[in-house]
Amino acid sequence: MRREGSPWRGLSVVFVKELSDHLTSARMLVLGALVVLTAGAAVYAAIQQIKDVSAEDPFLFLRLFTVSREPLPSFVSFLAFLVPLMAIGLGFDAINGEHNRRTLSRILSQPIYRDALLFGKFLAGLSTLAISMIALWLLVIGIGLWAIGVPPQAEEMSRSFIFLLVTIAYGGVWLALAILFSIVFRSAATAALVTLGLWLFLTVIWPALAPGIAQLVLPADDPAVPLIGAQVLARFSPSTLFGETVLALLNPSTRTLGPIYLSQMQGAVMGAPLPLTESVMIAWPQIVGLVAGTIVLFVIGYVIFQRQEVRA
Amino acid sequence: MRSALIAALSWLALVAPAVAQDKAPDVKGLFLLTDYPAVSVRPGNTATINLKLQNYALPPERLTLSVSGVPSGWTATLMGGGQPVAAAMPATNANVPLELRLDVPKDAPMGTQTLTLEAKGPSATATLPLNVTLAKELPAKLTLTPLLPELRGSSRSSFEYQLGIKNDSGKKLLVSLAAQAPQNFDTTFTEQYGSQELTAVPVDAGQSKDVKLKVTPPTTVGAGKYPVTVRVAAEDATATAQVALEITGQPKLDISGREGLLSARATAGVETSIPIIVTNTGTAPAENVELSGSGPSGWKVTFEPKTIDRIAPRANREVQALVTPTEKAIAGDYVTSMSASARGESANQTFRIAVATSTLWGIAGVGIIGIALLIMVGAVAWFGRR
Repeated sequence: MRREGSPWRGLSVVFVKELSDHLTSARMLVLGALVVLTAGAAVYAAIQQIKDVSAEDPFLFLRLFTVSREPLPSFVSFLAFLVPLMAIGLGFDAINGEHNRRTLSRILSQPIYRDALLFGKFLAGLSTLAISMIALWLLVIGIGLWAIGVPPQAEEMSRSFIFLLVTIAYGGVWLALAILFSIVFRSAATAALVTLGLWLFLTVIWPALAPGIAQLVLPADDPAVPLIGAQVLARFSPSTLFGETVLALLNPSTRTLGPIYLSQMQGAVMGAPLPLTESVMIAWPQIVGLVAGTIVLFVIGYVIFQRQEVRA
Repeated sequence: MRSALIAALSWLALVAPAVAQDKAPDVKGLFLLTDYPAVSVRPGNTATINLKLQNYALPPERLTLSVSGVPSGWTATLMGGGQPVAAAMPATNANVPLELRLDVPKDAPMGTQTLTLEAKGPSATATLPLNVTLAKELPAKLTLTPLLPELRGSSRSSFEYQLGIKNDSGKKLLVSLAAQAPQNFDTTFTEQYGSQELTAVPVDAGQSKDVKLKVTPPTTVGAGKYPVTVRVAAEDATATAQVALEITGQPKLDISGREGLLSARATAGVETSIPIIVTNTGTAPAENVELSGSGPSGWKVTFEPKTIDRIAPRANREVQALVTPTEKAIAGDYVTSMSASARGESANQTFRIAVATSTLWGIAGVGIIGIALLIMVGAVAWFGRR
């Protein structure tokens, strides 16, 4: 049966309700506190490290995000770990929760389409994520200004802002994945476990497994071929994509993310920072991968959701 | 027969001088000898006259020596073996060296005095009249001769002149050296085979000495002929000589970007034109200036035009360097060197080229996201239901 009218009708209602639910939920409160505490600790450690060792650095402010001090990892490492956790926490019971509470048919009996329901839930999750990330980003910059006392340059601000957008896109991938599994599995616990399992596999095991697979599958006549193959395989993990993007954006002297031949380095001026557009160009495939991955995962979830039988 | 004749001839040739040497001089008697029997002496000085008492074919005997005709106030002493002697005894066909020391008082009148030396023995007697002229001291006289007075070279070479200084006076002189060159020319005197710089050199009486004059022109000097006057002086004698250096101009090249800029932007795999300015800061025109460049491997660096016919001194020309980074160049800064050369003169400059990668992939990425969004819109349209 074809639909009449706009599919977006009711989107704003769902979005606002979901957003307010997220922001007031105890789950979100705990996740937010966790993120703020750990990230704050990492930034504090980074500031101590910068004060101790940093001499002249044209991108001192960006070091806030990347410098680490034992025993804490750096701010970006924390984010790479906590953003998926937060996104999964926001999305793992998006649809099956409604099922289990028997509220889905009630909502759909309102003049709200399924499209609007799913879009609204996804956008609300993403907005929650974005709000907390922006707050965290402002917090870090504020602490940095107060502690280092060096105002950031426009270039540093642009780089860290693009980094913020990429972090939100990275969260979007995991949110879309979590919503997909919440559609597929009726039990919220199963969906959470599967999503978390996939997240652990892609983040921890897959990057370690990729070189072995590449070595097995690809001919080893040219040593560069398995190396490139391993990198291509590793890039199926959103964590790898995020890590590479962060490297290109926050380390302006990064000139390439793949393996390069020595002949390409001949005559190159080492350590010279790249202009922002070039850094973005280097990380562009990764950024595109994150954004497109989010959309594709969402579309798969959408299609499955549209074809599902909803019974009260 | 023939070889016997040659042998006889060569025997004769060998023997003939021996016979001549053995032959005693056909002289007999006792002689008092000196190289210069008439000498000039300055008043107030001591003169030494070398003498020889020669015995030819006479039996040795004791000879009493005496000097007569010594003017009052003068002291004449005969010396033998460093001591005053009064008698000598030369063997047959042998001689005894003697010295006559003359102390002439300061106030002795000018004129010629004749002193007579006598060696008198029981059977033989020898006399020698000596003319001693009192004369004023000879004036100091110097001559200065450059060996090669005109040299040619570029403004960067140094010019070395060999100068002979001759002391034509009767005593040793300390000769001071000076050279007058155009402004900013550097002149130094050195020994002929040495590096020690000199301002004066001692020259023995009647002897000559070679010194070297090194002239270093300033590198900015223009082409032309420059004279240098060398002047040597000792006491009241001076001598001058003219040497000249002909400087041929030298081109000097300098290479830089427009307004001194040494950096440029380029895209990987795309030819970029960089304006390059070649300046001749030298003193002669640079001709056939060839331009070349080298970048990292796989880069192409060419010039338009490849050669410049002529750049006048203190003029410049602009050329275009066409730089094509390799397709595989990664983004960031690379070093490329460019050089201009004209007959031995060359200039080198490194340029920093910031390589940007093609934005084609960026557009492709946007396209991929667009496709993903289209799929979403399609899914919404296709699967959308109430």
